[in-house]
Amino acid sequence: MSEDAKKNIAGALTARPNSDDQKLSPLPSPAPAVPPKKVIIKSADMIPDMQKEAVDIAVAAFEKYNVEKDVAEQIKKEFDKRHGPTWHCIVGRNFGSYVTHETNHFVYFYLDQKAVLLFKSG
Amino acid sequence: MEGAEEELERRSKFLKSLIQKKKTIEQQEQHDHLQHNNVRVRACDMPLPLQSRAFRCARDLLDSMPPKKLDSKRLALTLKKEFDSSYGPAWHCIVGTSFGSYVTHSLGGFVYFSIDKVYVLLFKTAVEPLDHS
Repeated sequence: MSEDAKKNIAGALTARPNSDDQKLSPLPSPAPAVPPKKVIIKSADMIPDMQKEAVDIAVAAFEKYNVEKDVAEQIKKEFDKRHGPTWHCIVGRNFGSYVTHETNHFVYFYLDQKAVLLFKSG
Repeated sequence: MEGAEEELERRSKFLKSLIQKKKTIEQQEQHDHLQHNNVRVRACDMPLPLQSRAFRCARDLLDSMPPKKLDSKRLALTLKKEFDSSYGPAWHCIVGTSFGSYVTHSLGGFVYFSIDKVYVLLFKTAVEPLDHS
């Protein structure tokens, strides 16, 4: 009689379920660019170059100052310097006006919600 | 001669007191006027008569407008025209509830006041002769 030693290979394979609930980390979105101010020229008796200059100076003034009076001061003084006296500037959300100005030296425009009146007289 | 000097001194004092009384009366009238018309002067470089003119003009026009309906442009136009015709050009007027300003004005030609809830800026600039080129 021969004895055969039988080997029982007990291999238990346990299937592990793959979870599909992997979390996606959100990519940081780039900082939104500040939208340029909306410019509307309401009324003008002024050469285009000077109009653009007025708008550019106003945009810079609004970035620098919060008080309307300070914005007006900055614009008026800059124009007095560049184009000779005497300029006048009004800045605000709500106003009506009636003025006399020199020919070719008047502009009235909006920067978003703020109106800017700039004219030369005297 | 001493009698004459005394007389001159007396008259001088009398005149000074008259002038002072007149000023006091004018200021009191102005104050009463402001109170009555709900006017408050914020800044000023203008003779009293012109101030009173501006306040009365503004008061009359505001009263003629429908309540709570401000016509800024019309008030600005009315004031400017009245002052241009009465005190010579050139006057400028800004009317509104929310604005800031920076202007240069002629001497004695500037007033910034509030009436009810409206702000009024009225100022004058020198007029240069037209350039006939």
